[in-house]
Amino acid sequence: MSVLAQHGLSARRAVSSWPGTLVLGLLIIGGWLLLAIFAPLAAPFDPNAVDILHILEAPSLTHWFGTDQAGRDVLSRTIFAARVDLFMCVMGVVPPLLIGVTVGLVSGYLGGVADAVLMRIYDVTVAFPFFVLVLAIVGVLGPGLGNFFIALALVGWVTYARLMRAEVLVIKTSEYALAARSLGFGPLTIMLRHVLPNALSPVLVYAMTDAVLVILAGASLGFLGMGAQPPLAEWGVMIADGQSYVVRAWWICFFPGLAAVTLGMGLALTGDGLARLLR
Amino acid sequence: MSAPDRAAPLLEVEGLTVDFETRAGPVSAVRGVSFSLAPGEILGIVGESGSGKSVTCRAILGLLPRTARVGGSIRFDGRELTHFSEADWEHMRGRQGAMIFQNPASHLDPLMRIGAQIGESLRHHMDRSGPEARRDAIHLLSSVGIAQPELRVDSFPHELSGGMKQRALIAGAIACRPRLLLADEPTTALDVTVQARILELLRALNRQHELAIILISHDLGVIAEICQRVLVMRDGALVEQGRTRDLVATPKHPYTQLLIASQPGLRLRRPRRTGAHAAGQPLIEVQDLSVSFRAPFRWIDLTKGQVRAPRIRALDGVTFALHPGETLGVVGESGSGKSTVARAIARLLSPSAGRVLFDGADVHQLTGQDLLRFRRSVQMVFQSPYDSLNPRLTVRQTLAEPLRRHRLAPPRKIDERVAELASMVELPQDLLDRTPRQLSGGQCQRVGIARALAMQPRLLIADEVTSSLDVTTQAQILSLLERLRAEAGLTMLYISHDLAVVRALCDRVLVFQAGRIVESGLVDEVLARPQNSYTQTLLRAVPRLALAPQAQFQAEGTAHAPG
Repeated sequence: MSVLAQHGLSARRAVSSWPGTLVLGLLIIGGWLLLAIFAPLAAPFDPNAVDILHILEAPSLTHWFGTDQAGRDVLSRTIFAARVDLFMCVMGVVPPLLIGVTVGLVSGYLGGVADAVLMRIYDVTVAFPFFVLVLAIVGVLGPGLGNFFIALALVGWVTYARLMRAEVLVIKTSEYALAARSLGFGPLTIMLRHVLPNALSPVLVYAMTDAVLVILAGASLGFLGMGAQPPLAEWGVMIADGQSYVVRAWWICFFPGLAAVTLGMGLALTGDGLARLLR
Repeated sequence: MSAPDRAAPLLEVEGLTVDFETRAGPVSAVRGVSFSLAPGEILGIVGESGSGKSVTCRAILGLLPRTARVGGSIRFDGRELTHFSEADWEHMRGRQGAMIFQNPASHLDPLMRIGAQIGESLRHHMDRSGPEARRDAIHLLSSVGIAQPELRVDSFPHELSGGMKQRALIAGAIACRPRLLLADEPTTALDVTVQARILELLRALNRQHELAIILISHDLGVIAEICQRVLVMRDGALVEQGRTRDLVATPKHPYTQLLIASQPGLRLRRPRRTGAHAAGQPLIEVQDLSVSFRAPFRWIDLTKGQVRAPRIRALDGVTFALHPGETLGVVGESGSGKSTVARAIARLLSPSAGRVLFDGADVHQLTGQDLLRFRRSVQMVFQSPYDSLNPRLTVRQTLAEPLRRHRLAPPRKIDERVAELASMVELPQDLLDRTPRQLSGGQCQRVGIARALAMQPRLLIADEVTSSLDVTTQAQILSLLERLRAEAGLTMLYISHDLAVVRALCDRVLVFQAGRIVESGLVDEVLARPQNSYTQTLLRAVPRLALAPQAQFQAEGTAHAPG
């Protein structure tokens, strides 16, 4: 958090001076976070309770979002699925970010052999399309959320690394980095204290966009049956399950889809706002 | 020019005010400025950054942002400009008045050939056809003194040097034969010899085409070179105006006096310490030092049989010594290798040949504790005030960091020591918790000096520390350096392209050209009787203020006034 504080997100700076998109984005994300945390209180039904007497019911006062093919309440499932999807956002973004930032920082600052080796690994990784590589890794490791996160970490770090490296290359020639060297500071101090905080803004902004991508990837994998496994409620899985009934019961697909869109929008707005704030 | 007073004025500005709407309310940038300009006259406007001189100029061509509110009256050739519509402006700009800017590189489209950029306004305003515009562009380029205009017309901006870019920009500005040229700091980003040639060009254009020019500069020396009259602005107001010669000889307003007193060539000369310390062991000995950089690899070189990219020599066999207590000046144009020599001495880059000895030990062989001791003894202050400080750290953090890391003060005493350092560089204590963005350029430079002093160095390397500061701030920083050197017994390597500054501050001087030392010796001797032709060119190019002796005397009295 101290990095964010350095970037001007400290309490000293009034929230009122934040860009509107940032406030709106954080409100949307915060709303979903609250819903996910208090899911048992917010959801009117048990998300996995099968009720074969009330299958494929249209939205009504009892079931606001209707019921699915097993008679489960779509609203409750959508709310509980937020837990899985938000968890996915964090697990799908944080490990690649940490790996990418480290790799970018080291290869950009040290240069030479370290840079050459790390950047060739980078080249090999980007040579494959993102989705194909994720699918291939999950295919080898076996379906499931845990393996999905491993695949994302293995593939997702590359963009962070390149962004970070480009920033570091500029900052390491700045006069304050030179001054730090002539003050006798070691490379680790200079990297962590002088280069990292100043190079992080574009990475943080991209992380928001990446979170949207992770939701999409998760939904797609869930749809293909390689991500979250039924009966666990996840937006992608719900849409996949509902697709065969989409003509008769549109609500099974529509509401989880809407949920994914709002969260994605919240993240995108936050990213946009962060970009303006950190500029 | 011949009696500009009798002719009807080309431009009349009366009670001009410009306010900018901001979230915090209106901010006043220009407050009631009045002046007039005769056809064919050259008028100078001098003042610090933020004095409103650029805003005044932009108001004349209607180039202010929409948040600006313009009041008062601007009459050009009898027509009132403040009521102009965008269509009127389009007719006015380029044809009647044109403008050139400080940084020619950022005012030329990098993807457009020079000829096309010049021809654009010809086609737009004068209905020239493509081939006609090209022919005119070639003619214009040769009239602004660009050699081989038939070739240069097809060059891209990045293929031209800084001086040539400014010439091309001038060629574009005068393409449609305007009657007024506004030049906003046109030579500030250029080397002194190039500056002299650009000023000469402006004067020639003024004579040949009866072109009226308003020249904006923070440097009174530049203004005095070519302007008949000068306006002095401060905080958006006109503080004094008059004929350049009278104003420089007998400045009436205290601010004008301060401005003149701040001219580096006018500062009190301190007694030189020459020769006395040359006998002992030198602090720094540079022996046959060369630094070369490898050009980026290009595949095309392979076709020429070159497997490795060619090396570029930044420094070529340089030898000199620096004795304790001495101040050595290094002068030269950009690209002459003067910053490279500083960085090689401070071990911020490694030489390809030769040695740097510090106290007799080879700097580039040092390791471990010896290296740390060397780092502590040699400190650098950098050129750009904002880039040399970490934007995320407060002044207090910046100053405390080296103290903590090198245990130069016990943890409980760090705050005390930081305060002490701030007062050493005359930085107000209440600025300590600000970040660099909340400081002025001069204040940032003081922080940079304080950070270097925190290490209690024996050698201070100052790399163009005043070149991006206003002249009054520059004078303050120079007297600060002078005082610190006397108090702390610092040895100093002072790098500058400004000969006047070097003359005021240094004992000895080295003149660099293309990576070599072309002349060296005592400052007074070298600058009074330069032997090398390049040194002579350099000296001739410096704009000078011709001053009456008593004016100089008055000026000294106000040199240390706060500002």
